[in-house]
This record gives sequence, C-alpha cells and structure tokens, in this order.
Amino acid sequence: MAIIHEGLLGEMQYIAKPFEQNHIKDLFKKDDMLMQEIAFNLIYGNNEKVDELTKTALDQGYSANDVLDDGLISGMAIVGIKFRDNIIFVPEVLIAARAMKAGMAHIEPILSASGVEPMGMVIMGTVKGDLHDIGKNLCIMMLRGAGFVVEDLGVDTKPDEFMDAALEFKAQVVGMSALLTTTMPNMGRTIEFFEENGIREEFKMIIGGAPVTQEFAEDMGADGYGKDAMACVDLVKEMVRAK
Amino acid sequence: MQSKQEEFSIIGENIHTTRIVLRDGKRHKTLENGDEVILYTEVNGNQNQISVPDWFKKTQPYEQGQVKHFMIAVLEAINGDKEIQHESASFVQAEALRQIRAGADFLDLNVDEVSYKIDIQKEAIRWLVSVVQEVSTVPLSIDSSNSEIIAAGLSQIDSSLGKTLINSVALERLETFDLVEKYDAKAIITAAGESQMPTNDIERLENVLRLLEEADRRGIKQEDIFVDLLVFPISVDGSYGLDYLNAVKMLREEKGDEIQITGGLSNVSFGLPMRKIINETFIKLSLEYGADSGIIDPIQTDVTKASSINIDAEPHRFARDMLLGEDEFCMNYIKAYNEGRLVVK
Repeated sequence: MAIIHEGLLGEMQYIAKPFEQNHIKDLFKKDDMLMQEIAFNLIYGNNEKVDELTKTALDQGYSANDVLDDGLISGMAIVGIKFRDNIIFVPEVLIAARAMKAGMAHIEPILSASGVEPMGMVIMGTVKGDLHDIGKNLCIMMLRGAGFVVEDLGVDTKPDEFMDAALEFKAQVVGMSALLTTTMPNMGRTIEFFEENGIREEFKMIIGGAPVTQEFAEDMGADGYGKDAMACVDLVKEMVRAK
Repeated sequence: MQSKQEEFSIIGENIHTTRIVLRDGKRHKTLENGDEVILYTEVNGNQNQISVPDWFKKTQPYEQGQVKHFMIAVLEAINGDKEIQHESASFVQAEALRQIRAGADFLDLNVDEVSYKIDIQKEAIRWLVSVVQEVSTVPLSIDSSNSEIIAAGLSQIDSSLGKTLINSVALERLETFDLVEKYDAKAIITAAGESQMPTNDIERLENVLRLLEEADRRGIKQEDIFVDLLVFPISVDGSYGLDYLNAVKMLREEKGDEIQITGGLSNVSFGLPMRKIINETFIKLSLEYGADSGIIDPIQTDVTKASSINIDAEPHRFARDMLLGEDEFCMNYIKAYNEGRLVVK
C-alpha cells in the first residue's frame, strides 16, 4: 500500500482512470506520512500548513529534492487531474499554487545554494498587438508553482523582445500567448524572427491561448501547444526533458 | 441608484464563430448512416439541421467533444456551392431571429476565429453581414479586434436597419473612430489601455474618459456610444467584480443618465460552476450600480428575470458576496456548490 495518509486515500476517489491511479500511487510509493501530509495540504491550498510542514521536513533531514518531488509535485499532480475533470475549479487551483509557492520558499534557496539547477527557465509573454494576459498569468502562476523560474514579459511583446529576453535569461522554453485570432499570426512571426536570427534551435517555443489549437501550433512551426494552464505545465516539463 | 432595467440594451453576442455545441448535448445528433448534424428550429417552427463536415472532425475542438456550429456554417458557405450557402444562410438566419425574439437590440457578429488569415476573415464577415441583414429587424454590431475586418463588414451594410454598431474602438486602435465617422455608425468604446488592460476601476474610468473626449472632438454624439467597462473572471481575482461595478458607478456619476454603459457580463463567471447563477446575480448588480446594457446571449440569460431576483437569498447570495469581493478565492461559493446548495428553488 503506497498511500497511508487517510485524506490522501480519500483523494483517490477522484482519480477515475486506472493508469492514472497507478501513476499517483507510484508517486507516493515511499509510504512517507510527512510527505503525504504535505501533498494533502497542498491539494487543499492550505499554505500555512504547507509552509510549516516543509520547514519541519527540512529540519528533520529530508532533502530539498525529496520534499519537492514526494510532497509538493506529487500533490500538484492530483490537483491537475481534479481540475481537468471539473472536480475543482480555477480558484482552487490558484490556492494550491499559492501553497506550492509557500513550500518552494524553503526549497528554492537550498537547491540554488547547492548548485542544483531550477526545473527550468521559461520566458513567457502575450504576443505583439494583444493586451490579454489573464490566461498567460495563470500559466505563469502554475509554472512557478511547479518549480520553474519564469520571466514574465507582459503583454504586447514584440518578436525582438522575446529574442532579447530568451538570450538574456538563457531560457529553455519560450512561451507565447494570444487571445485574439488577429494577433495569433504574430506567434508565427516571432518563431520566424528566431529563425532569421539563427537561434530557433536553441529554444523550445510553445504557444497557447483560447483560439489556439494543436493544428495552428503545427502550422506555425511551434514545438508544442497547451490547452490550459495545467496542460502548459505538463508541456513545459516535456520540453525541458527533451532539451 | 435607480434601476435602469426598463431600457436595458442587449447586444446579442451569440452569432460568433467561437460558439460551441457539445457533441453529447441535445442539439447534436448522429444519423443512422453515421453522419453527424446540428439541429435547429427554423423561423416557421420546422426542425432543420446542418451537417458536421468531415474536415471539422479532424480538428481539436471536435476531439474535445465540441462542435463550432457557426464556424462550420460560415466556412462551408464561403467555400461551398449555392446549395451549401443556402443551408448555411437559413441556419444563421434562424439563429439571428431567435436572438431578436429573446430580446436582442443589436446582433453582434464575430468571425475572427474562422481563420487567422485576414482575407478569409474579411470574406466571412461580408457573407455573414449580408445574410443576417436579410432577415434582421434590429441593427447589426460588427465585432472584431481588427478594424480591417470591421471595415469589410461595414461595406456590406444596407442602412435600413438603423445605425450599425462598431465593436470596438479602443485606445490601442483609435483609427476605428474613422469608421464610425465614415459610416455614421454607433460605437462600443472599451476601457482597455494603450499598452495594457486596466488593473482597477480608476484606470477603466480614465481610459474611457480619454476616448469620450476624442469622440467629442470628432463630433460623435454621446447617444451613439456604448462604453464597455470590461468584465474579467472573478475566479482569477476576487476584486474583478467590484472593479467593473465601481467603474460603472463612477462613470454614471461623472457622465449622467445619457451615457450607455455595457460589458460582457457573462465573462465574470468563467472558470466556475453554475455560471447561470453568477451571471444573473451580476446582471442584477450591474443594474444597481448603473449599467444599462450588456453584451450577452439573451437566450442563455433572461435580463428581466435576473433583474427581479432576490440576490440576498440563497442561492444567489453566495454569488453576490463573491462578486462584491467578500469571498476570497470564491471558497464559500464553491463550498455551497459542493454541498448542493446552489439550487434555484
């Protein structure tokens, strides 16, 4: 039995697909009550508790990496599934992300002091001509919650601004957002701009936004597309692994 | 403030190529031969249908269980033969008349999502304007984030329906005012800033006051203007409800009774369950704060009914508290939903 925390066991009722059940059980295979307690409190957005328990775990000698993987990220995996299946809603994802951040506040300094690279460096902006940023901001919150370092380029981001930031911050992933079909082509233009400057292959370039589709992403020559903030996190993980 | 529900203008926002019906919903049907169709009711009461074409079945929305019926009708019409054009036209016209019967004072037409190619978008809006105005009894509202597409739509207008509404003019695209003048149209002006969305009520007010000054300088009459004060989803930030409502109140105080104040009111409920309860409550609050128009789908949302709702009683009071910024992270609202308390008695 991998899951020993009673609350967390209760969460399994929300995981409908057998392969996902197995995946979640696998995440908690260490049978560690404290890690599972962290995960459970993260799922319910209890940031004070996550803050306190993360600190306790580190004081007790857990490694920062273990707390990140076995507590915080494992909890977030359940949040992602519950959100996708309409069991929880946007505000609940946001408070889970806030709780994740509370835990990360203890973990990050240790990781960076010991020379462990962050999960990945992402720059993200809404493309030129488009001022909509709610979806992009949700993605950034979720990515930061998942342990990525994200540089927010704001709205109306021109191709050269994407390029300058990608180089300056040594990004692995460049994320572009658009809410308007009339500004979506600027995603393609930004990708072309990277190509013209001979740096396209140095970055994974991904796109998202309400009217954006997988087909469009392929048309534009993007490396990936995420349909919402949770999918964005999965996509960025995949991109960083592939690099 | 006195409620203005009597003269509430509805800018009917259903005829958009973003709209969907669900593949497992009651408007979608799979025929015995395997063909899929979307059902609709003609003006004369007859049941009719449009086909879901094979190309659509390869798209991602379809795979996610959605059919974009207006997008299909528009694209089939501009790519197809006379027969298909006729089928698409009768579908769109039936939907237009449903909007009018439900109380739409303007029919908002938006084709931006048919393509990201401007020529296709322009062709689409020209077709849509021409078929809708054949049957409409109310003026059209031409909606696009690109003024070239708006211009293409306006070029097809036959002015017998009264002044067309342009949706929208913003600080980031002041040139759209030229179209308002050229076509003697009405305009929705939005509270978006030049380089970013407004972050609070004051910025909304400042942005629209600048646009109103520009409109005045150009001799555009206030009666021809609707102000869209921009509604953002409460699920993302608990202050978004009051940002809109307070901006409405301030603009009403600043400009008096004549100025028409609107907003995409159902945006507020994005990302939350039981959106209808939130939308009704927000309409009621908007009226109380002084709005006199909404960019809404009148078939989905009944303004007269919403205006008579008691938002101090359950279940609407959960939405009221949330929309007035008194329910951090919408937790009480979501709790009420999970406990089955969001039921209209």
